[in-house]
Amino acid sequence: MKRYRISVNGQSYDVQVEEVGGAAAASAPHAAASQAAAPQAAPSSSPNAPAATAPLASAGSAQVKAPMPGTVMAFRVAVGQAVRKGEVLLILEAMKMENEIVSPQDGTVASLGVAEGASVNTGDLLVSLS
Amino acid sequence: MDEKLKKLEAHRARMLAGGGPKRVAAQHERGKGTARERIDALLDPHSFQETDVFVEHRSVELGMDEVEAPGEGVVTGFGTVEGRTVCVFAQDFTVIGGSLGEMHAAKITKAMDNAIRMGVPLIGINDSGGARIQEGIDALRGYGDIFFRNVKASGVIPQISVIMGPCAGGAVYSPALTDFTFMTDKIANMFITGPQVIKAVTGEDVTGEALGGATVHSATSGVSSFMYPDEASTLAGIRRLLSFLPQNNIEDAPLRDVGDSPSRSDQGLVTLMPDKPNKPYDVRDVITKIFDGAPGEAGDFMEVQSMYAMNIVVGFARLEGRSVGIIANQPKVMAGVLDINASDKAAHFIRFCDSFNIPIVTLTDTSGYLPGVGQEHGGVIRHGAKLLYAYSEATVPKLTVITRKAYGGAYIAMCSRHLGADMVYAWPTAEIAVMGPEGAANIIFKKEIEEAADPAAARAAKIEEYKEAFANPYKAARRGYVDDVIDPAETRPRLAAALRMLAGKREAQSPRKHGNMPV
Repeated sequence: MKRYRISVNGQSYDVQVEEVGGAAAASAPHAAASQAAAPQAAPSSSPNAPAATAPLASAGSAQVKAPMPGTVMAFRVAVGQAVRKGEVLLILEAMKMENEIVSPQDGTVASLGVAEGASVNTGDLLVSLS
Repeated sequence: MDEKLKKLEAHRARMLAGGGPKRVAAQHERGKGTARERIDALLDPHSFQETDVFVEHRSVELGMDEVEAPGEGVVTGFGTVEGRTVCVFAQDFTVIGGSLGEMHAAKITKAMDNAIRMGVPLIGINDSGGARIQEGIDALRGYGDIFFRNVKASGVIPQISVIMGPCAGGAVYSPALTDFTFMTDKIANMFITGPQVIKAVTGEDVTGEALGGATVHSATSGVSSFMYPDEASTLAGIRRLLSFLPQNNIEDAPLRDVGDSPSRSDQGLVTLMPDKPNKPYDVRDVITKIFDGAPGEAGDFMEVQSMYAMNIVVGFARLEGRSVGIIANQPKVMAGVLDINASDKAAHFIRFCDSFNIPIVTLTDTSGYLPGVGQEHGGVIRHGAKLLYAYSEATVPKLTVITRKAYGGAYIAMCSRHLGADMVYAWPTAEIAVMGPEGAANIIFKKEIEEAADPAAARAAKIEEYKEAFANPYKAARRGYVDDVIDPAETRPRLAAALRMLAGKREAQSPRKHGNMPV
């Protein structure tokens, strides 16, 4: 339960907000009619879904961001390619140096954040790993 | 007499049992050793002399009169590492969570006072749930007494903190005041306010590991100096670090001759440098080629904060058996730029070396200060000033080798002659100038470039002209800012000779309480 103080037109209100489970929130508006179906759907989908997606998301996903402003000279990897920790993902020309940006972990290249030749700022997404 | 000896043995056995077999087993299950096991692994075999085994708390409030705490939850004493005396304390998590009360703190401060008086390193192993709440402000006083001694001991004896368990709340500030903090991965946690408090106050969900684990403090916060995967390697790391350090601020670090000739040259240093100045290389390869290594092996380099602000590399090595501190720009990471974190990291290391008579060797190759709003608003002026301060303040022998880029403010900051370097060498690849060729050409030849029929070609020509005239070490050598331009292969013998020459360096200090270092 989270408590908020909200001010509307100078009048302050104390509000309590309770976060309820995702499944419950989704089924709530469907009223009684769908209640019979819900318990069936939940057990059948839950063992598969978290097992398939959760470990991938937590173990492999990462966003490689620009450590400093510069120009992306060349990508050394393509989307879908498996990469190992420490492997060079791209060359970022910055501070008059051709900087090798390496992968922080093992994973697969999910997407490239910018095109080759693009100017990037600190924090801009360069490569998404999954 | 026999009876009295038996009584002593029984009493001692009860104290040495700590929190009892059940709690000891729980400690082992977590991959953790007991306080005495850790001390035994750290020190030379059978060298540990425990003191204050029989100390007890005198708290009677809130049920504490019923609580027995063998050894008061902390083991203290002295012993040797490679034959050299050290004082140690290790908190015992099996005894009421290693919580810190009045007498627990008294045992620690006694060990600290001994270390200061005897001039020997102090090693503290932290594994504690925090303040013993039942003892109230007497527990707080305990923390204060420890902090006060940490500061009094700073620069007098090396102080090493080891985190092998929780270290939360006020307890974190003792490690922060010491010289080096070791953390064991997956076992160590450090934070001012824990996950539960954060959840209650800000609503943020965070685990102890994600908030203050060894990885976080090694890579993100910079609180940790060294991280190891388990307790055995952590303790071995401390022994290794001590081999580079003197016992106190008056002595020199021990000599260790591994049979590497000071006159050994290394052609690898020539081939290692890329042909183009905009290509990176790993400066650690330069370090391990120059400094002492056993025959057939790379130089022995113990890097400090190896995962934090990786654009600068700091650590210990030896030259002709003598311990030296190395500060080197890392062209491989973020072009070796100087930024807020790199300045902090290097300044802290330089001051440690200066406190303990460890000569400083600087390897310069940096693209300069990192531009950006984030850096400016983060206070790069204030933080960058620390580097200038630390280098200027240091009176130990200071040697500098400019391997490649040394432009503008970064040239000055990286222990230039002007900040008191005793000897400055440059490789022929060095580029020492007021700014990089591109920027300089754009400013100096602005008019000519604008008025040229082909501005782009004119600019390129002017850049080339500037490079030829200024991007070299000879302008600086002509002024004597660089003492000599040397063959990279000869770096080791030249540094060794310079260090020998500087062995008797004395520098008078102006009388003052202390400077006001920008912090």
